[in-house]
Amino acid sequence: MPSIDPIDHIDPITRDLWQVIAATDELPVGQIQRTTLLDVPLAMTRDSAGLPVVWRRSDEEAGDDVDPENILDRLPVTTGYGFVWTSLGTPSAALFPIPEYAEADRKNMSCGSIGIHVSAPRAVENFLDMGHFPYVHTDILGAEPHTEVKEYDVEVSEERDEVLATRCRFMQPRAAKSATHAMEVEYVYRVPHPFCSVLYKSCPEDENRRDVIAIFLQPVSEDRCRAHLLQSMIDSTSTITDLRRFQQTIFGQDKPILENQYPKRLPLDPRAETPIRADKSAIAYRRWLSQKGITYGVIPMAS
Amino acid sequence: MTITLHDFELSGNCYKLRLLMSILQLRYDIVPVDFFPGREHKSDAFLRLNPFGQLPVLQDGDLTLSDSGAILAYLARRYDASGQWFPDDPAVTAEVLRWHAVADDITATASAARLALGFDYPFDLEKTQAGAHRIFRIIDEHLWFGEKSGRDWLASPAHPTTADIACFPYVMLSEEGGISRQDYPALRRWTDRVRRIPGFIVMSGIFPAGPALPAA
Amino acid sequence: MTLSLSDPAWYPIASSDDLPFRHVYQGQLLGRELAVWRADDGNVNVWENRCLHRGVRLSIGINEGAELKCQYHGWRYANRSAGCTYIPAHPADAPARRIQNKIYPVAEAFGLVWSAAQDSDNIERPFAPFPGAESGQWFPLRPMPVNAAPEDVLAGLATLAPDDRPADSLPGLALRLGDVVYFVQPVDAGRAVIRGLLPSTPADATQALRHYNEMLSKLRDRLERAAAKKPAPEPLAPAFDKVSADLATMPDIAIPRGNTIPVVVKRKWTSADGVIGFELAAREGHLPTFQPGAHIDVHLPNGLIRQYSITNGPGELMSYIIGVKQESASKGGSKVLVETVRQGDMLAISEPRNNFPLRRDATRTVLIAGGIGITPLLSMARFLDKSSLPYELHYFTRACEQVAFRGDLEALHGTVLIHTGLPRAEIGTTISTALGAWSQAQHVYVCGPSAMLESVRTTAAAQGWPDEAIHFEYFKNDKPIDDSSAFDVELARSAMTLHVPAGKTILEVMRDAGLTVPSSCEQGACGTCLTTVIEGEVDHQDVYLNDSEKAANTCMMTCVSRAKSARLVLDI
Repeated sequence: MPSIDPIDHIDPITRDLWQVIAATDELPVGQIQRTTLLDVPLAMTRDSAGLPVVWRRSDEEAGDDVDPENILDRLPVTTGYGFVWTSLGTPSAALFPIPEYAEADRKNMSCGSIGIHVSAPRAVENFLDMGHFPYVHTDILGAEPHTEVKEYDVEVSEERDEVLATRCRFMQPRAAKSATHAMEVEYVYRVPHPFCSVLYKSCPEDENRRDVIAIFLQPVSEDRCRAHLLQSMIDSTSTITDLRRFQQTIFGQDKPILENQYPKRLPLDPRAETPIRADKSAIAYRRWLSQKGITYGVIPMAS
Repeated sequence: MTITLHDFELSGNCYKLRLLMSILQLRYDIVPVDFFPGREHKSDAFLRLNPFGQLPVLQDGDLTLSDSGAILAYLARRYDASGQWFPDDPAVTAEVLRWHAVADDITATASAARLALGFDYPFDLEKTQAGAHRIFRIIDEHLWFGEKSGRDWLASPAHPTTADIACFPYVMLSEEGGISRQDYPALRRWTDRVRRIPGFIVMSGIFPAGPALPAA
Repeated sequence: MTLSLSDPAWYPIASSDDLPFRHVYQGQLLGRELAVWRADDGNVNVWENRCLHRGVRLSIGINEGAELKCQYHGWRYANRSAGCTYIPAHPADAPARRIQNKIYPVAEAFGLVWSAAQDSDNIERPFAPFPGAESGQWFPLRPMPVNAAPEDVLAGLATLAPDDRPADSLPGLALRLGDVVYFVQPVDAGRAVIRGLLPSTPADATQALRHYNEMLSKLRDRLERAAAKKPAPEPLAPAFDKVSADLATMPDIAIPRGNTIPVVVKRKWTSADGVIGFELAAREGHLPTFQPGAHIDVHLPNGLIRQYSITNGPGELMSYIIGVKQESASKGGSKVLVETVRQGDMLAISEPRNNFPLRRDATRTVLIAGGIGITPLLSMARFLDKSSLPYELHYFTRACEQVAFRGDLEALHGTVLIHTGLPRAEIGTTISTALGAWSQAQHVYVCGPSAMLESVRTTAAAQGWPDEAIHFEYFKNDKPIDDSSAFDVELARSAMTLHVPAGKTILEVMRDAGLTVPSSCEQGACGTCLTTVIEGEVDHQDVYLNDSEKAANTCMMTCVSRAKSARLVLDI
């Protein structure tokens, strides 16, 4: 009996996307690292020039030595924002843009890749959500009694094919290290890829610029993903370890919420859950996925 | 004298010390260690502090200590004037140390499963999950019969000890290792009680319990 | 036997002792996960383990005693009804829609908590004790979870019987071994919990519990070894119900009210000089969820409809308690209630509606009541009390004997100040002191006679309180209505244009045209006929909207308000 290739279950949009699989610097040279993307087992390494090589794995073991020259049947690879991206289909030429990443004075860093037992779109939706700040990120990104999600704007940019939420404001107790009292922070959220989101947050050091925090989700299976976190900060005082610790603290607080969400795939039927005005960006995101025809990691609307 | 904790936020073993120091109202400094993804606990500088390459490490003046269970005992003996957290009585000391050993077994199972699922560690997931369930079953039974005889905590005194602090974090984080606590109702109730100890603080992955019913 | 998702039988799902106060128990029955919690009034709630907002398990939430708080966004769900009472992301809104979590029927008997996969609103098979239940003073054993198919667990239990005395089968997954009864809770296709009952409390309870625990542990180990050799059965896959269509979108106008609810006057008493208390109980089950500040319409025997505030605290849904003023110059509403309605009479009420929502995100909340205006503020104080939020309640009455609900006020933990018999000028200075200077996140709620509302509004404004921090509820509109204008209304969704002549209201004209439009007080006070305005300039004459809402020109009350422009376009 022919075995069923997991690729056959992936919708064509998802299959042809660039998907994140590792932080480039964390990938060993000449040694195998294993991962799974869209149910497909992959092996990867870096060649002597430091360039990533990715292929579909059979019996390779993690840590085995490998000569990348011998890997002929390679998957497409690109690098961007400190991460390795591959695709199981035919990806577009370029990744979505994050122009700020190239600014010379920024501290750019990965903050680790963390496995979560939930679908990638659920994790994106949580990243877009502000209402949970006082309850999940208590005393850091929010605190009772400042629980209100004020009106904000959401649009789906046709030109850039992305969801954009602007004028997002929230009262934060520890918005900056120097802050002694709660202050209102302004966010802009972009969803430039079905499984990636980029957040721009007012920067305490320079009021004309914004810190950038991005989450790139690697869909491992329909109900599991790995979150790859990027920070691109304007911060002359903190160390990389400090900045990583802050972001890992935040993400570690989201993890138990995400893993207690049911169903694990994101339901696209508007009647599956109960949206409120604060969920405008999530509603736009769900519609956008639906219109694109994404079926991986979601429960599509019954036709 | 200054206490310094070499700490990783997402480590349950480090959290044990933050938790006890918060309960004992001790002031301390944190040196963040980039355990993940930086693997700084395997760096030369860190190995000089602890050749085993494990977090946490605590420095108190000139003293450098490692192993969360050992440090819990040290902090309680050194700074807990009430003497309740690591009691002097030889029988109770033995009882508490027994639970410190259980805590290490929980680390070897529930925490290992969490590292496998969350942080890509090459551990045998099925084996570590099954091991955690085996331990949780025994603790649930112990706590259930404890409730029936008016004992709220792991060890026999009428108050919590470092036994509870040592076992709590990786019990509470077990779901991140795919280990549900649904079948352990007495264990779940105990986690409420621990979370209501005055001075309790959370770590990422653990939420606070609400207030207890006010006494009438 | 195979398990069926739609098996309506009652099964034990927990021991009573599993549910201490302020704890949320995680259970499962026939594949459905359950959040089970005991409220401070002793009531046990069995809910689907999933917040309707974003699907997060409620078993990781917080039991606040009368409400369950979801860990993700802090939504509160009421004891008994599982209705949502508060959404912190929109603290100024009363959830207009009925957001209600799925609930399962519950019975507590023989030291066990029982539930069934049945619709709790329409129980086809009520709970019935097992045969022989009446003969025992049942004592529950330690529950024993087993990773094996429920039918295999039942068969395993039967093997414990001695050869000369086989097990008696009981209905469902249960049997009797000697005088001990065992129930198998079907958790899922491959998981079960054995729940045993001894017929009486044994002399040495601990020893007996240990004995049975040991025996059942051995049985469990044997069953699990056998189960491990078989292919694991596919877990049951319960479907989640869809939410109602109106919840799937985000309407920002009030929903027409639902049907009336019959209630029994359970108690009628003199709460204070001139204030009669009424306790209105549901005929069966509980009444709908309400939010603090909510009121109900009471349909009176003479056909009149009057609004009364609910005084209850959170999660108190077995009856609503209202206070009715005994007016000397009564217009027939309160008079009928006070004089002719008696204990045991039936009345009809509307579902609770809230035009006076309480924010729970204030750093300071000042509640000011005059006379019968205490009723909504008593409810608010009780909600704040339960959540340990700070508040100051000022209650003004003419005389000491007129202080209603005194016992309830004394039970509160916050600052409660009762001011009796103050001269008018002193009332003013007391209000001024009570308000103090405004700072961020402070809110005042006032209910009382029009003069008092005006006094609070002007004093607060003078002391720097912005409009959005001053909350009040009018029960009547004393302002003269000017209905001399004439204009056209275009009803966008109904595709109709109607002419409103002088002397008629928009509401009347729409009704004449055959439209069904909700309304209640018809004097611009209750907010029921709130309508979205698409175009045109509104001539607001109501007392429901505040000044900034009126200025926004986006909604109006069709019962009294009119148009300044020649034409209005409404979203109807």
